[in-house]
Amino acid sequence: MSDIGKVRLRVPSSIKAGDVVQVRALVIHPMERIERDTQGKIIQKNYNYINKVIVTYLNKTVATFDTTQNVAENPFFSFTFKATDPGQLKVQFLDTTGGRYEGTADIKFS
Amino acid sequence: MEEHDGGHSVMARTSMADDHGMTRRAVLAALGAFGVAAAGGLAAAPGRAHAQALGQNESVEDALKRLFAGKPMKDGAAVIKLELPLIAENGAVVPVSVTVDSPMTPTSYVKHIYVVADKNRIPVVTRVTFAPEAGRAFMGANIRLGETGDVRAIVEQSDGTLLQVKREVKVTVGGCGG
Repeated sequence: MSDIGKVRLRVPSSIKAGDVVQVRALVIHPMERIERDTQGKIIQKNYNYINKVIVTYLNKTVATFDTTQNVAENPFFSFTFKATDPGQLKVQFLDTTGGRYEGTADIKFS
Repeated sequence: MEEHDGGHSVMARTSMADDHGMTRRAVLAALGAFGVAAAGGLAAAPGRAHAQALGQNESVEDALKRLFAGKPMKDGAAVIKLELPLIAENGAVVPVSVTVDSPMTPTSYVKHIYVVADKNRIPVVTRVTFAPEAGRAFMGANIRLGETGDVRAIVEQSDGTLLQVKREVKVTVGGCGG
Protein backbone atom coordinates (compact mmCIF):
# COMPACT_ATOMS: atom_id res chain seq x y z
CA MET A 1 0.00 0.00 0.00
CA SER A 2 2.55 2.48 -1.07
CA ASP A 3 -0.26 4.66 -2.22
CA ILE A 4 -1.30 5.53 1.34
CA GLY A 5 -1.76 9.20 1.72
CA LYS A 6 -2.34 10.10 -1.88
CA VAL A 7 -4.86 12.89 -1.86
CA ARG A 8 -6.97 13.99 -4.73
CA LEU A 9 -9.07 17.13 -4.67
CA ARG A 10 -11.71 17.86 -7.20
CA VAL A 11 -12.73 21.46 -7.58
CA PRO A 12 -15.08 22.79 -10.25
CA SER A 13 -13.18 24.21 -13.19
CA SER A 14 -14.85 27.58 -13.25
CA ILE A 15 -15.51 29.45 -10.06
CA LYS A 16 -16.94 32.91 -9.71
CA ALA A 17 -16.31 35.18 -6.78
CA GLY A 18 -18.94 34.65 -4.13
CA ASP A 19 -19.88 31.17 -5.27
CA VAL A 20 -20.50 28.44 -2.80
CA VAL A 21 -18.23 25.77 -4.19
CA GLN A 22 -18.54 22.08 -3.61
CA VAL A 23 -15.27 20.19 -3.37
CA ARG A 24 -14.62 16.48 -3.28
CA ALA A 25 -11.58 15.10 -1.55
CA LEU A 26 -10.32 11.57 -1.72
CA VAL A 27 -7.45 9.99 0.16
CA ILE A 28 -5.99 6.55 -0.30
CA HIS A 29 -5.99 5.01 3.14
CA PRO A 30 -6.77 1.52 4.51
CA MET A 31 -9.00 2.74 7.39
CA GLU A 32 -8.41 -0.45 9.36
CA ARG A 33 -11.45 -2.03 10.93
CA ILE A 34 -11.71 -3.48 14.40
CA GLU A 35 -10.50 -7.05 14.41
CA ARG A 36 -11.70 -9.73 16.74
CA ASP A 37 -10.12 -12.96 17.86
CA THR A 38 -11.85 -16.34 17.73
CA GLN A 39 -13.75 -15.62 20.96
CA GLY A 40 -15.06 -12.44 19.48
CA LYS A 41 -12.98 -10.27 21.74
CA ILE A 42 -11.70 -7.09 20.21
CA ILE A 43 -8.00 -7.18 19.55
CA GLN A 44 -6.49 -4.16 21.21
CA LYS A 45 -4.05 -2.38 19.01
CA ASN A 46 -3.59 0.96 17.47
CA TYR A 47 -5.79 0.76 14.44
CA ASN A 48 -4.62 2.92 11.63
CA TYR A 49 -7.48 5.07 10.47
CA ILE A 50 -8.10 8.69 9.73
CA ASN A 51 -9.67 10.47 12.65
CA LYS A 52 -9.51 14.05 11.52
CA VAL A 53 -9.92 15.94 8.29
CA ILE A 54 -9.30 19.65 8.34
CA VAL A 55 -10.31 21.93 5.50
CA THR A 56 -8.70 25.34 5.39
CA TYR A 57 -9.24 28.11 2.91
CA LEU A 58 -7.15 31.27 3.02
CA ASN A 59 -5.64 29.86 6.24
CA LYS A 60 -9.02 29.77 7.94
CA THR A 61 -10.62 26.52 8.97
CA VAL A 62 -13.84 26.04 7.07
CA ALA A 63 -14.83 22.57 8.16
CA THR A 64 -13.48 19.77 10.29
CA PHE A 65 -14.51 16.16 10.07
CA ASP A 66 -13.95 13.98 13.13
CA THR A 67 -14.24 10.46 11.90
CA THR A 68 -14.28 6.98 13.34
CA GLN A 69 -13.60 3.60 11.84
CA ASN A 70 -17.08 3.65 10.39
CA VAL A 71 -15.80 5.57 7.43
CA ALA A 72 -15.08 3.50 4.36
CA GLU A 73 -11.70 2.54 3.03
CA ASN A 74 -10.12 5.13 0.75
CA PRO A 75 -12.47 7.70 2.19
CA PHE A 76 -14.09 10.35 0.18
CA PHE A 77 -15.42 13.52 1.70
CA SER A 78 -17.22 16.39 0.17
CA PHE A 79 -17.89 19.80 1.56
CA THR A 80 -18.53 23.34 0.45
CA PHE A 81 -16.86 26.64 1.01
CA LYS A 82 -17.61 30.16 -0.02
CA ALA A 83 -15.10 31.41 -2.54
CA THR A 84 -14.46 35.01 -1.57
CA ASP A 85 -10.89 35.59 -2.71
CA PRO A 86 -8.41 33.71 -4.82
CA GLY A 87 -6.14 31.62 -2.67
CA GLN A 88 -5.30 28.21 -1.48
CA LEU A 89 -7.68 25.52 -0.36
CA LYS A 90 -5.97 22.91 1.75
CA VAL A 91 -7.32 19.62 3.03
CA GLN A 92 -5.35 17.78 5.68
CA PHE A 93 -5.97 14.22 6.77
CA LEU A 94 -4.61 13.03 10.10
CA ASP A 95 -4.54 9.36 11.04
CA THR A 96 -4.05 7.53 14.30
CA THR A 97 -0.43 6.67 13.60
CA GLY A 98 0.56 10.30 13.33
CA GLY A 99 0.39 10.35 9.56
CA ARG A 100 -0.50 13.64 7.98
CA TYR A 101 -1.52 13.80 4.38
CA GLU A 102 -2.55 16.91 2.61
CA GLY A 103 -3.79 18.11 -0.70
CA THR A 104 -4.07 21.63 -1.95
CA ALA A 105 -5.91 23.37 -4.73
CA ASP A 106 -5.47 26.90 -5.95
CA ILE A 107 -8.75 28.71 -6.18
CA LYS A 108 -8.77 31.11 -9.11
CA PHE A 109 -11.65 33.00 -10.55
CA SER A 110 -12.44 32.80 -14.20
CA MET B 1 -21.01 -6.09 22.46
CA GLU B 2 -18.17 -8.41 23.38
CA GLU B 3 -16.42 -5.53 24.93
CA HIS B 4 -19.38 -5.05 27.25
CA ASP B 5 -19.06 -8.68 28.24
CA GLY B 6 -15.46 -8.00 29.00
CA GLY B 7 -16.55 -5.08 31.10
CA HIS B 8 -18.98 -7.26 33.04
CA SER B 9 -16.41 -9.86 33.81
CA VAL B 10 -14.11 -7.17 35.09
CA MET B 11 -16.91 -5.84 37.24
CA ALA B 12 -17.76 -9.28 38.53
CA ARG B 13 -14.19 -9.94 39.40
CA THR B 14 -13.77 -6.66 41.13
CA SER B 15 -16.82 -7.20 43.27
CA MET B 16 -15.62 -10.71 44.03
CA ALA B 17 -12.35 -9.28 45.22
CA ASP B 18 -14.25 -6.93 47.45
CA ASP B 19 -16.43 -9.66 48.90
CA HIS B 20 -13.62 -11.94 49.84
CA GLY B 21 -10.93 -9.40 50.49
CA MET B 22 -8.73 -11.04 47.87
CA THR B 23 -6.20 -9.26 45.76
CA ARG B 24 -6.58 -9.14 42.03
CA ARG B 25 -3.56 -11.41 41.73
CA ALA B 26 -5.12 -14.02 44.00
CA VAL B 27 -8.39 -13.92 42.11
CA LEU B 28 -6.58 -14.33 38.83
CA ALA B 29 -4.60 -17.27 40.11
CA ALA B 30 -7.71 -18.88 41.57
CA LEU B 31 -9.64 -18.52 38.39
CA GLY B 32 -6.95 -20.26 36.41
CA ALA B 33 -7.82 -20.74 32.81
CA PHE B 34 -10.93 -18.63 33.11
CA GLY B 35 -8.75 -15.95 34.58
CA VAL B 36 -6.78 -15.77 31.37
CA ALA B 37 -9.91 -15.06 29.40
CA ALA B 38 -11.00 -12.49 31.95
CA ALA B 39 -7.59 -10.87 31.83
CA GLY B 40 -8.30 -10.19 28.20
CA GLY B 41 -11.25 -8.13 29.35
CA LEU B 42 -9.07 -6.42 31.89
CA ALA B 43 -6.47 -5.58 29.30
CA ALA B 44 -9.24 -4.13 27.18
CA ALA B 45 -10.25 -1.71 29.90
CA PRO B 46 -7.33 0.74 29.60
CA GLY B 47 -7.84 0.80 25.86
CA ARG B 48 -11.40 1.88 26.41
CA ALA B 49 -10.33 4.56 28.81
CA HIS B 50 -8.01 5.99 26.20
CA ALA B 51 -10.47 5.57 23.38
CA GLN B 52 -11.20 8.78 21.63
CA ALA B 53 -14.27 10.58 22.80
CA LEU B 54 -16.12 10.29 19.53
CA GLY B 55 -16.17 6.65 18.57
CA GLN B 56 -16.87 4.07 21.22
CA ASN B 57 -18.25 0.61 21.31
CA GLU B 58 -21.66 1.33 22.74
CA SER B 59 -25.34 1.30 21.94
CA VAL B 60 -26.80 4.15 19.98
CA GLU B 61 -28.80 5.30 23.01
CA ASP B 62 -25.62 5.58 25.06
CA ALA B 63 -23.89 7.39 22.25
CA LEU B 64 -26.65 9.97 21.93
CA LYS B 65 -26.78 10.42 25.68
CA ARG B 66 -23.03 10.93 25.80
CA LEU B 67 -22.95 13.40 22.94
CA PHE B 68 -26.07 15.39 23.65
CA ALA B 69 -26.76 14.73 27.33
CA GLY B 70 -30.41 13.95 26.68
CA LYS B 71 -31.24 17.32 25.14
CA PRO B 72 -34.52 17.21 23.26
CA MET B 73 -34.25 16.77 19.51
CA LYS B 74 -36.68 18.25 17.08
CA ASP B 75 -37.69 16.65 13.87
CA GLY B 76 -35.58 18.22 11.20
CA ALA B 77 -37.31 16.79 8.16
CA ALA B 78 -38.17 20.28 6.93
CA VAL B 79 -34.60 21.53 6.74
CA ILE B 80 -32.31 18.52 6.61
CA LYS B 81 -31.85 16.56 3.44
CA LEU B 82 -30.27 13.20 4.11
CA GLU B 83 -29.28 11.34 1.00
CA LEU B 84 -28.67 7.65 1.30
CA PRO B 85 -29.27 4.66 -0.92
CA LEU B 86 -32.41 2.69 -0.05
CA ILE B 87 -30.50 -0.54 -0.40
CA ALA B 88 -26.77 -0.74 0.11
CA GLU B 89 -25.48 -3.80 -1.64
CA ASN B 90 -22.07 -3.39 -0.13
CA GLY B 91 -22.03 -2.13 3.43
CA ALA B 92 -18.34 -1.31 3.16
CA VAL B 93 -18.99 1.71 0.98
CA VAL B 94 -22.22 3.59 1.44
CA PRO B 95 -22.38 7.12 0.12
CA VAL B 96 -24.14 9.54 2.41
CA SER B 97 -24.66 13.24 2.10
CA VAL B 98 -26.38 15.72 4.34
CA THR B 99 -27.51 19.17 3.31
CA VAL B 100 -29.05 21.56 5.77
CA ASP B 101 -31.22 24.37 4.56
CA SER B 102 -29.96 27.00 6.94
CA PRO B 103 -28.31 30.38 6.77
CA MET B 104 -24.57 30.37 7.35
CA THR B 105 -23.98 33.75 8.93
CA PRO B 106 -21.71 34.39 11.89
CA THR B 107 -24.75 34.78 14.13
CA SER B 108 -26.74 31.80 12.95
CA TYR B 109 -25.15 28.79 11.34
CA VAL B 110 -24.94 25.06 11.53
CA LYS B 111 -22.21 24.13 13.97
CA HIS B 112 -22.13 20.38 13.67
CA ILE B 113 -23.53 17.63 11.57
CA TYR B 114 -23.37 14.20 13.16
CA VAL B 115 -23.91 11.03 11.21
CA VAL B 116 -24.95 8.11 13.39
CA ALA B 117 -25.56 4.55 12.24
CA ASP B 118 -27.79 2.86 14.80
CA LYS B 119 -26.74 -0.71 14.20
CA ASN B 120 -23.00 -0.20 13.96
CA ARG B 121 -20.94 -1.36 16.90
CA ILE B 122 -19.45 2.09 17.04
CA PRO B 123 -22.55 4.11 16.22
CA VAL B 124 -21.03 7.54 15.73
CA VAL B 125 -19.69 7.70 12.20
CA THR B 126 -18.56 11.25 11.87
CA ARG B 127 -18.94 14.69 13.29
CA VAL B 128 -18.44 17.63 10.99
CA THR B 129 -17.74 21.02 12.45
CA PHE B 130 -18.47 24.03 10.29
CA ALA B 131 -17.38 27.60 10.26
CA PRO B 132 -19.76 30.15 8.74
CA GLU B 133 -17.30 30.48 5.84
CA ALA B 134 -18.45 27.11 4.58
CA GLY B 135 -21.28 28.93 2.83
CA ARG B 136 -23.63 26.00 3.05
CA ALA B 137 -24.03 23.25 5.59
CA PHE B 138 -23.22 20.31 3.43
CA MET B 139 -21.20 17.17 3.95
CA GLY B 140 -20.69 14.00 2.02
CA ALA B 141 -18.72 10.88 2.79
CA ASN B 142 -18.52 7.19 2.16
CA ILE B 143 -19.35 5.27 5.29
CA ARG B 144 -19.56 1.67 6.45
CA LEU B 145 -22.74 0.03 7.66
CA GLY B 146 -22.66 -3.22 9.59
CA GLU B 147 -26.25 -4.27 9.00
CA THR B 148 -29.67 -3.02 8.01
CA GLY B 149 -30.73 -0.22 10.29
CA ASP B 150 -31.48 3.43 10.68
CA VAL B 151 -28.96 6.07 9.80
CA ARG B 152 -29.48 9.41 11.46
CA ALA B 153 -28.24 12.86 10.70
CA ILE B 154 -28.25 15.14 13.70
CA VAL B 155 -27.69 18.83 13.22
CA GLU B 156 -26.56 21.13 15.96
CA GLN B 157 -27.09 24.78 15.24
CA SER B 158 -25.02 27.59 16.69
CA ASP B 159 -27.76 28.35 19.23
CA GLY B 160 -27.70 24.76 20.45
CA THR B 161 -30.88 23.55 18.77
CA LEU B 162 -30.75 19.93 17.78
CA LEU B 163 -32.54 18.61 14.74
CA GLN B 164 -32.69 15.03 13.65
CA VAL B 165 -33.74 12.99 10.66
CA LYS B 166 -33.33 9.29 10.13
CA ARG B 167 -33.79 6.81 7.34
CA GLU B 168 -33.50 3.10 7.15
CA VAL B 169 -30.93 1.57 4.85
CA LYS B 170 -31.10 -2.07 3.90
CA VAL B 171 -27.67 -3.61 3.82
CA THR B 172 -27.11 -6.74 1.78
CA VAL B 173 -23.52 -7.42 2.82
CA GLY B 174 -22.30 -5.82 6.02
CA GLY B 175 -19.16 -3.79 5.86
CA CYS B 176 -17.89 -3.31 9.37
CA GLY B 177 -15.99 -6.56 9.71
CA GLY B 178 -15.29 -8.00 13.13
